[in-house]
Amino acid sequence: MSLLQHLKNTIRSRSIHVAYVNVGSCNGCDIEILACLSPRYDIEQYGIYVHNNPREADVLLITGAFSPQWEDKLKPLWDKIPHPKVAVAIGNCPISGCVFNRPETLVDPPVSKHIPIAAEIPGCPPRPTEIISTILSLAPIIFKDYEETKK
Amino acid sequence: MKKTVDVSLPVGPMHPCFKEPCRIKCETRGEYVLSAEVELGYVKKGIERIMRGRPWQEVMFLAERVCGICSVIHNFVFIEAVEKISDIVPTERAALLRVIVNELDRMQSHLLANYSYCYTIEHETLAMYLLNLRETVMDQLELITGARVTCAYIVPGGVRCDISAEVAESLKTALDHIDAELTRFVRIFETGPLIALRSRGIGILTKDAAIEAHAVGPTARASGILEDLRMHHPTYRLLNFKPVIRQESDNYARIMMRFEEVFQSTGLIRSALAAMKEGPIRGGGTIKSGSIRYRGEAPRGELLYELTTDNHGRIVDIAIQTPSIPNMQVCSHAMLIDAQSAADITSIFISSDPCIACTER
Repeated sequence: MSLLQHLKNTIRSRSIHVAYVNVGSCNGCDIEILACLSPRYDIEQYGIYVHNNPREADVLLITGAFSPQWEDKLKPLWDKIPHPKVAVAIGNCPISGCVFNRPETLVDPPVSKHIPIAAEIPGCPPRPTEIISTILSLAPIIFKDYEETKK
Repeated sequence: MKKTVDVSLPVGPMHPCFKEPCRIKCETRGEYVLSAEVELGYVKKGIERIMRGRPWQEVMFLAERVCGICSVIHNFVFIEAVEKISDIVPTERAALLRVIVNELDRMQSHLLANYSYCYTIEHETLAMYLLNLRETVMDQLELITGARVTCAYIVPGGVRCDISAEVAESLKTALDHIDAELTRFVRIFETGPLIALRSRGIGILTKDAAIEAHAVGPTARASGILEDLRMHHPTYRLLNFKPVIRQESDNYARIMMRFEEVFQSTGLIRSALAAMKEGPIRGGGTIKSGSIRYRGEAPRGELLYELTTDNHGRIVDIAIQTPSIPNMQVCSHAMLIDAQSAADITSIFISSDPCIACTER
């Protein structure tokens, strides 16, 4: 491993930037993401920062069962995120549609049809601790030695 | 929207200050806002379409997932509407337990709304204090119901589980803690000179405009309209509920309104705990056919369920009217007009506490 890669690994492990996008959720998962910011869970002590800006994000948190408005919007949003990047589905909705995936519905789950999902956190909604531990366990797999392994 | 100037300023759908996706289209001269329109449709799921023809046992969970922030009141109003159709009366203890859980939910919703506002005006310290205080409320909600957000606590005839003496004791300790902490935070908010600069006299909603647009909830009460559906609810009447109103009708009044309602909620929970006697928490009954319009006071204002059931307990027809619909309209057409700077657009919008998931369903 080169020195440069070693330096990048060290810095990246403490600087994970997160954006979240709601593609048709009931807010339940969104407020659990917000709860991660609170001093009780304190997401920033692990070096995770929530800016909600796709252009500087590393991790995209997706909540909600895919509603029709996002069909032409989620893919461009995903493309705006610079590499290395990863998408995490939060809650049952992006995985299966949860209670909304019934006859007569307007939603079109799963989200993995539209963009690649690296990890899924089931739960309606999952606890803030589960969200934090997923991001923390995912980050080294995706970001470590990124430049050397991408070829 | 009629185009009057060249400069259009879109805010959203993904914005660092918004919890949910929605777009505000503003027409501005410089930074002065001439007109604004809220564009929705990003989280439309068609919940009412899914609900039709399903048994109430399923619709109960769907109703709760209309909105994650105020899930208890959706459960509350839907179940009370079904009870009214079927002549089921909840037991005395269950009625008080419902009020306790509903007020806890209102407290966490108001604290979250005020957190969002403080975050939007860049007072991150106070925002984090409020978010941490909200965790205390969430703990109590979890202790009583077993879940943090979607708790499905209220069932026809009563509630799902009882509270023990230890839980009641921990609830009282938490209420004392909230009262003491929040008094401090409210003093920070009241006396902060920079908060006053960003809040006082900004986003004014006159009483006439609020009446004309049928504003509801804290937004209307901060403009001096005495309107709170809890005044007409039998259990709240038993607890001597008195709504609070303010006259300033700006951003500051709306946020202070929510702080005062949190104090009011802690008082209501204390008197409900004092009034509680031993007794059953579940009654019996069968769901009958009929139709009803039933209203309840959500954290954001009046929530209306209009539903028809059949003899098998299925929901034949249902329509939901949520409080954010009139509040967002009055926000874009009365409050946002004449905003002096583009930074005030988000703070005025957040001060009306919009819930997009409720609005679009």
